[in-house]
Order: sequence, then structure tokens, then C-alpha cells
Amino acid sequence: MRRVAVTGVGVVSPLGNNNQSFFESLVAGRSGVGRLSMRFEERLVCRIGASVSDFDAASLFAAPRLRMLDRVSQFALAAAAEALGEAGEVFNGLDLERAGVFVGTGMGGARTTDESYFTLYGEQSDRVKPFSVLLAMNNAAASWIGMEHGLRGANLTYSTACSSSAVAIGEAARRIASGEADVMIAGGSEAPLNFGTLKAWDAMRTLATEDPDDASASCKPFARDRSGLVLGEGAAMLVLEAWDRAVHRGARIRAEMAGYGLCADPSHITRPSVAGQAAAMRRALADARMDAAQIGYINAHGTGTQANDSVETAAIKEVFGARAHAIPVSSTKSMHGHLLGAAGAIEFAASLLAMEAGIAPPTINLRHPDPECDLDYVALAARGGIDIGAFMSNSFAFGGTNAVLVARRAP
Amino acid sequence: MTTLGRLQALLRKELDLAPERLAPDARLEDLDIDSLRLIEILFSVEDAFAVAVPTGADELRARLVTVGDLAAYIDSLVAQKANPAP
Repeated sequence: MRRVAVTGVGVVSPLGNNNQSFFESLVAGRSGVGRLSMRFEERLVCRIGASVSDFDAASLFAAPRLRMLDRVSQFALAAAAEALGEAGEVFNGLDLERAGVFVGTGMGGARTTDESYFTLYGEQSDRVKPFSVLLAMNNAAASWIGMEHGLRGANLTYSTACSSSAVAIGEAARRIASGEADVMIAGGSEAPLNFGTLKAWDAMRTLATEDPDDASASCKPFARDRSGLVLGEGAAMLVLEAWDRAVHRGARIRAEMAGYGLCADPSHITRPSVAGQAAAMRRALADARMDAAQIGYINAHGTGTQANDSVETAAIKEVFGARAHAIPVSSTKSMHGHLLGAAGAIEFAASLLAMEAGIAPPTINLRHPDPECDLDYVALAARGGIDIGAFMSNSFAFGGTNAVLVARRAP
Repeated sequence: MTTLGRLQALLRKELDLAPERLAPDARLEDLDIDSLRLIEILFSVEDAFAVAVPTGADELRARLVTVGDLAAYIDSLVAQKANPAP
């Protein structure tokens, strides 16, 4: 098996639209959560979310092209452009059949679907926009990225709910490790902040209650007063590359993709289990040929729901034993919200940047500890000066597909 | 304004094309109007001329070669609407 390098990182997020501003916001403990404004907003039970701001799609894409791009594809293309910009001349001299794109998304072009239904049912029109299918289809984001660069290798879209992009990254790394591909663009994108999608999440009764004093503090992972998740939007993309090739062309290697653990939790469609989450973490460590002692930071799935946070805490303790309490574990979802299909990718990006900087981003809004959640969650403020030789990023999903990624610092 | 004039204005706006490229004998394929773009243009035509385009994309693509063909086709739709077949 070949080694896999990460040579580019791109981010569009509620905390900034490039990886640097994203990480600065994380370190500052800034919340991207706020009140949403949209048509019918007064009918939402949960009116909060983490939206991307200052994203000027019209300046990024010519008008005829923009009409073919749902917001989810716009984010994906922008994040991929940043990642490829960092990676440099990654396609130089490469047979483009050896380059592909794997993207995770839970809901695809949900905004287009929502607008189409509004046109039909709300406005009683019999005509939806001509490209509605092309905008809404789940694989649009991956396809546009591949088309932009003429990549003829595998182009796949993974949809495993909240672990979609962790799966996309893990599977892409395997393609390179196996020798099937030399370069993969891998990550996730999600744009679920439309009325119809939000109402569906309202109905699940899993969204956070708005904090009465401060809407931006509504997502409280691991806290006793946590009340649920806050939806967010955005994208994160990585450039993954065969290690020797990256070294040979003198690329800046940001990290080594070391391990990927995947397992299914078949007991229930939503309820997580300690055994399932622990199994995915163990498999990722085994895949990386690392032991638990080598992990210096964990980016938790940490949704802020009652069920996940106590189960994940127990699973981390099961895998890491006594050392669990010595590892900084944070839920950056407290700041950027839950990006669903893009969550795994954006949290991998957060972890990679944390490893480079030696700074663990905080879990904000954790003022009232829950006795069942007793790890070191880096509460309230970032912690610098820590040596992170390797990190673990957890993604657990409705439907039970648990995916865990492990990466280590490039030597 | 004539149908051709209105169509030219619509194409200019939708596809960001220079007016001098939109002569009646300009071929749609030379304007990068592929089958997909044609569908989008027909959607706008339906709005602008208050007509319904009944025909499938493949058949239209074969019939409509130039900007002038498209203008004539719109004229026929407008006429049909004014004098529907019994």
C-alpha cells in the first residue's frame, strides 16, 4: 500500500471562506451560528443556523454557468479551487485518468428542490426551472469539480448522512494507497438552510432550542444544558496525493492520511451505540498502524444532542482507556454548526490546521458540564502550545455509517 | 419590436453575447448553444412571448439551426396561440 499526502485544503464555512480565516475564527472561539432569515421564517420552530456569509457567487461564476449551480455546488467548487491553489501544479505531467473526485453530501441541491416545490405547490405554476434536475442531483458538485479540471478517474458521490464526507476522504485515500489513482480531490459540501429542509429537521425534534440570551450560543456540545444540533452550511475539500509524487514535485505536504475506520451500526436508524462508535475508532487506529497513545487531538462528532455526546464520550473512553482524559477533545460544531454531509471534511480540515498550529480549538458554550461527559473538551477557549503528532476526526451518522479518519504530521 | 429583435435582446442578456454575433443566419451551435442551453432559452422564450413550447428538445435541435429559425419558430407559436386550431 502506498502512503497518501494531503497537499491542499479548501474551506467555505460559516466561519470564513478560506482555510486561514476559518481557523482564525476557530481559535478565537467565534460562533457562526445566528438567526436565519428566509421566506416563511416565522413558521420555523428552530430559526437558527450557521450560514455562510460574504460568499459572492456572481463574482466567482459567469452568469450562464451560475444558473446551473446550486449553492451546494458553488461551495464545493470554491473549496476545491482553494485546495488546488495550495497544492500547486498537481496535475502537471499527470495522466488525468489517474485523478478523480470523491464528494460527500447528505442532501445535494436541497435549495433547488425546495424552490421547485414552492413554484409548483406554492405559486401553482406548472413550470420549474429548466435545469432543476441538474442543480438538485446529488452528484452535481463532484461532477462540476471533475469537469473543471478534465479529470477522468473515478468520480463518486457518497451519501451516508453525517459521515458522507469522512467516507469520501477515506475512500479516496484508499484509491491512492491501492495504486489506482495518484491525485484525488476529496471532501464534502452541504447547503441545507432552506425552509423545506429546516422544517424536516424541525420535525425530527433534534435541533437545538435557541438560547434566550444569545442565539449564537445555542449549540452546546457536551454541556448539561445541551438541547440539540444546529444546522450549518459550507464545504471543505482536500487534495490527496500519492506520497512519493508529492515529495518528488516538492509539494508542501500538510499531513499524512494515515487511517480510515468504517463500520455500520445496525441496531437503530438514529440511535448511536458505544460499541459502534468505538469499533470505527479502533479500525481507524488499526488501519493507521498506530496506538491510541499517539493521538494528540480528537475532533469529536459532538453534535450537541443528548444521545450522541454521552455515547461518544463513553466510546472514546473505551478506546483510549485511562489516557482518554489526557487528550484534548473538541466539538468545533459548537462554532460552525453541523454541516451534515460536509461535517467530516470540515472537521478534518479543522483538525489538520490545529495539528499544524499546535492549537486545539475550543468547544464553546460549555459552561455547565454534564457528569456523563467528563473528558477534556477544551471548554470555552482554544489551547495553544500543544504537541499534536496525530489526530482523530469522528463522524457518526443517521443510518449508522460510522467513519473515523486519522492523520499524522508530515515528517 | 420584431420577434427577431426581442429574441436577440433575450439571447444577449442570457448568454452575454455581443449583438453583432446574433444575425439571423448565425448558427446556434456557433454561439455555443448546445441542447442544454437551448432548453434554457426556450424556458425564457415561453416567459417573454407568453407561449408554450410543446416540442421535445431533440426534435427542436434538428429543426432550429440558426437564430432566424428560432425567431420563425416563435412566430409560429405566437400565431398558433392567436388562432388555435379548431
